[in-house]
Amino acid sequence: MKRKDEEFLIQELLRSQLRRGEISRRQFLQNMIVAGMGLGGVSVLSSCGGTAPATPAAPAATEEAAAPAAATEEAVAAASGTRPLTPTFYQWIVDLHPGLKAVNESFADLNFQIAPVAGFDVARFVAEGKNKESTWDVYVGMTPFVEMAALIKADVIEPWDNYIPKDVLDDIIPSIREECTVNGKLYSWPFLLDIIVQGYNTSITSKAGLPDTPPADWDEYLANSKAVLDSGAARYGCTFDAHGWRSLCPITHSINTDIYYMLDGDASGVPLYDFTHDDAIAALEIMKQMLDLSSANALQPGTTDGGVNQTPDEVAFAAQQVAYYIKYQNAPLRMAGTWTDPTALRLGALPKAKGGAGSTVFWTTGACLFKWGQNKEKAAEYMKALTYDAQIWKDSIAGSSSGHPGQLPPFLSVNEALQKENADWFQKETWVPLVFEQLKVAKAIPNHAFGLQQFIIGQPIWEKYLKGEVSDPKVAMQEAKDAVAAEVKKAG
Amino acid sequence: MATTFPTTVARPRRRWHELKHSVNWLYLLPALLFFIGYQLYPLLQVLYISFTDYRYLRPDPPNFVGLENFSNALADPIFWTGLWRAAIFTAIFLPGVIFIPLFVAILVDRVQNATLSTLYRLILLIPAVIPGPMIFVLWRWLYDFEVGPINVILINYLHLFDYRNAPQWVGDSPLTLPAVAIMEWWWGLGYHTMFFLAGLAAIPKELFESARVDGANEWQMFWHVTLPRLRPIFLILVVLRFGSAMAVIDEFLIMGGFNRSMPTYTWTVYMWHLGFQLGDWPQGYAAAIGWIGAISMLVVVAALFYIFRNQD
Amino acid sequence: MDLTRSIDSVQVREAAPAMHHRPRLRLGTILLHATIIFFCLIIVLPILWVFLMSIKSIPDAYTGKLWPDQFDFSHYNYVFEHIPSFWNNFTNSIIVTSATVFLTSVCAILAGYALVHLRLPGSALMVSLLVGTLFFPTRLVSLIGIFEIQNAVGLLNTRIGLILPYVTLNLAISILTMRGIFEQISPEIADAARIDGASSWRIFYEIMLPLIVNGIVVLVIVNFVTAWGEYLLAVTLTNDQSVRTLPVVLATTFGGFGEWAWPRIAAVYIMAILPGLIGFAIAQRWYMKGLTEGALKL
Repeated sequence: MKRKDEEFLIQELLRSQLRRGEISRRQFLQNMIVAGMGLGGVSVLSSCGGTAPATPAAPAATEEAAAPAAATEEAVAAASGTRPLTPTFYQWIVDLHPGLKAVNESFADLNFQIAPVAGFDVARFVAEGKNKESTWDVYVGMTPFVEMAALIKADVIEPWDNYIPKDVLDDIIPSIREECTVNGKLYSWPFLLDIIVQGYNTSITSKAGLPDTPPADWDEYLANSKAVLDSGAARYGCTFDAHGWRSLCPITHSINTDIYYMLDGDASGVPLYDFTHDDAIAALEIMKQMLDLSSANALQPGTTDGGVNQTPDEVAFAAQQVAYYIKYQNAPLRMAGTWTDPTALRLGALPKAKGGAGSTVFWTTGACLFKWGQNKEKAAEYMKALTYDAQIWKDSIAGSSSGHPGQLPPFLSVNEALQKENADWFQKETWVPLVFEQLKVAKAIPNHAFGLQQFIIGQPIWEKYLKGEVSDPKVAMQEAKDAVAAEVKKAG
Repeated sequence: MATTFPTTVARPRRRWHELKHSVNWLYLLPALLFFIGYQLYPLLQVLYISFTDYRYLRPDPPNFVGLENFSNALADPIFWTGLWRAAIFTAIFLPGVIFIPLFVAILVDRVQNATLSTLYRLILLIPAVIPGPMIFVLWRWLYDFEVGPINVILINYLHLFDYRNAPQWVGDSPLTLPAVAIMEWWWGLGYHTMFFLAGLAAIPKELFESARVDGANEWQMFWHVTLPRLRPIFLILVVLRFGSAMAVIDEFLIMGGFNRSMPTYTWTVYMWHLGFQLGDWPQGYAAAIGWIGAISMLVVVAALFYIFRNQD
Repeated sequence: MDLTRSIDSVQVREAAPAMHHRPRLRLGTILLHATIIFFCLIIVLPILWVFLMSIKSIPDAYTGKLWPDQFDFSHYNYVFEHIPSFWNNFTNSIIVTSATVFLTSVCAILAGYALVHLRLPGSALMVSLLVGTLFFPTRLVSLIGIFEIQNAVGLLNTRIGLILPYVTLNLAISILTMRGIFEQISPEIADAARIDGASSWRIFYEIMLPLIVNGIVVLVIVNFVTAWGEYLLAVTLTNDQSVRTLPVVLATTFGGFGEWAWPRIAAVYIMAILPGLIGFAIAQRWYMKGLTEGALKL
């Protein structure tokens, strides 16, 4: 083991001991000097927020420490947390949550970064990890089913368990905690909660003579959409986002949540979406009926983020051309912000299937800790300040001039406090309790390395049925399933 | 007699010339430095990389693999699809970028009023001073299916379509490449019109006079006097635009993204995707793709030159 | 000139067409101007549309109505308040573009002068090579190499790392343009000065430069627009929003300002194209002169 690695590990061990109060500051410094990292210890102490002992104490290090200390000082300084806390965020988080700025300002010595737009993925982290380096300390914007499994497998992230305060850990809503946990350890510090729900535009539905209640099941949903279309109240009856995790999967969950299967020979032990399950096929058929009532270009890719965002369904809903919409609550809320009368928006639970499970999909966007990053305790402090910040939640739930993201807190105490306080602005957001009710029955997509990719691979294939190129949904779904299985096997 | 005189004078003169020449090269030095540093050397380096299995994100040193990258590329269906898409785009784009500016140039050339003529030229040149990405963002908006003004006018004002069958301009649609071509025509209209105007202005008026005296009408004058005179400009434009059309990448990155089924995923986008995004950035393979595409373009360019040159 | 004679000749000129061609000339001219104006409208309307978008109220912007019911001028203000990186990106654009324009112009003017007015063996070969590079997709193929170079010298994600390759973007065209301009200057001027004993540098600086001002304007404008809007190199060589130039940030498909309401993006857009438009408006007379003087002669 190289000296640099050895020192890094020793220092980390000492630091965690110091943090947990097992050793005193003096003992910490003494041990650091003994290990030949005296001067580095001084800077570590100061970055831990305590007053560093007067510098003359450091040169009192032994002869043996002085010489290698000089040489390794550089290495230690690099590993000792002398760089400020360096979190990285996706641009959209900054855009949607203006309260972030105030949180950042309250943290002295913060090197706030926006994630680079290219090359920000596992391969990059692995490459850096080979040199035991990491450009960033914490990455905010990770969604568990999208990338967490890959990050864990590549061994570039570390669980939060050693750093997250216990009361915070217990405060996480149980289903969310389960989503973020792998092998008993919490790998994602949840921040923003999204659930697939339905939304509708009452100014259109009332024109079509429909009641102001969300359709309870798919038959009613489709019938209402058709009524809107027939009455000419809007161009389209209903719309949806063509990406699988935003449409196919939640619709399937509304029928049955037990639609995952273990692929033969898949060592990960995590199930994949079973395309050929009867209920998955039923969901696809519902989607086809929805497509007939929706915009002609609902299957087109979006215009930003490589086609994943600013999708045609969003544009149609924002332009008030469609009545009913299923997507995560963020979308209808944000799009309604551009209406002349935003109060015409209603949210509701995702329609059930008659006699079905009535579930839906949820996920959280959270933060993960880079294994080779620094400032890990500080990262935990930062995340706590961020995720409990009242202003961020108020802006998110009630909306601000930046928009109305509607993303919800993942913590029991925060939500209870909001409900108890029942401020005026909170009362106006009648959708919040509805969405929380949904959370009780919602299920997360399993954290497979291909959790997201399986839907991306399958989409062009199941769309063949939606576009009418293939007449039997079973055939299309079987092909999708096989394609995903082939890719999983290829990746090993 | 005459032979001896020059030689006795030539020697000191040659030395003086040589001295002068070396100073003269200094004027070229800055440009040369940039060329060598950021064009020649990178080109050679890419050529070198294309013979290795270099992957940017892997710290292992690259190994020489000979022509393996090239044979893989030639067997790669995505590469061929990409090349084909670029070829289709070029075929759609080229006629428009030649004939529309030619038409406009002929019209503007006939404007008698000097102020109006200048005004027209200035207006036509406006897109030429708007940077590329801004043009692409603008047209991405214009082409938006729901709220873009093109479809709004087609549906609401001209009633040519309704919202069920209105054209899907950009996206997973066969109209995408023509849509990008239209955008390029719009962008280059002013600049290319200037080219043709310069060419038209260079035609001596006497040629027209004598043709008119000979009894030629407008069309015959155009065909027999104007067009032949414009041939050099045609050639230059066709070859230049062919090159830039086959190598288009910015537009497709901005308007298309990395979805392989989209018509904008050409060989250039594929090359960039491989070199800077996918997996561990297999730049050796990407380099090979780049070179194969470039060489095939050169072949066509050489052919174009050959075809056009013989008629002189 | 004899005033009476000029009036007569004017009258004669007007009378002749009036007598023979007036009706046909009118229709032809009207058609001519109408067609040209049609093309001009096609050019101008999209830009006007974006400008209109930037002052539309948000609901109107999303309905696709061409003329808004309600105007909203607050979007420009919003941009200033809410993108901390806006000024950063704008400044980056200014710095990178100015440096690129300056360096390219210096190189091109010097090289153009040398190729025309100074004796250089092999200058014909050089010109052919320059023309040759225009037909080869140099930027595309050398991209990976440029990335590797900047990586090796640690210039990734820096402004200088952008400026240096940017210079080569238009260098060949710039040199050829300047060559065209210099060829318009008769070599006798240079010879006369040389006989008087002036060094080639003095000839260049005191005689040539003032004559090519229009050409320089063309050079500056063309290079300005290219450098201001260069996308591919910026996207490949930089990763941080804080180093990128404004048009690139605006156009980046990965969440640039994607979450923003369209009128606000339109406001940023207008501000991003204004420098080019204003510069063009100011310099247009010299630009047009430069184009006719020979900037278009390859």
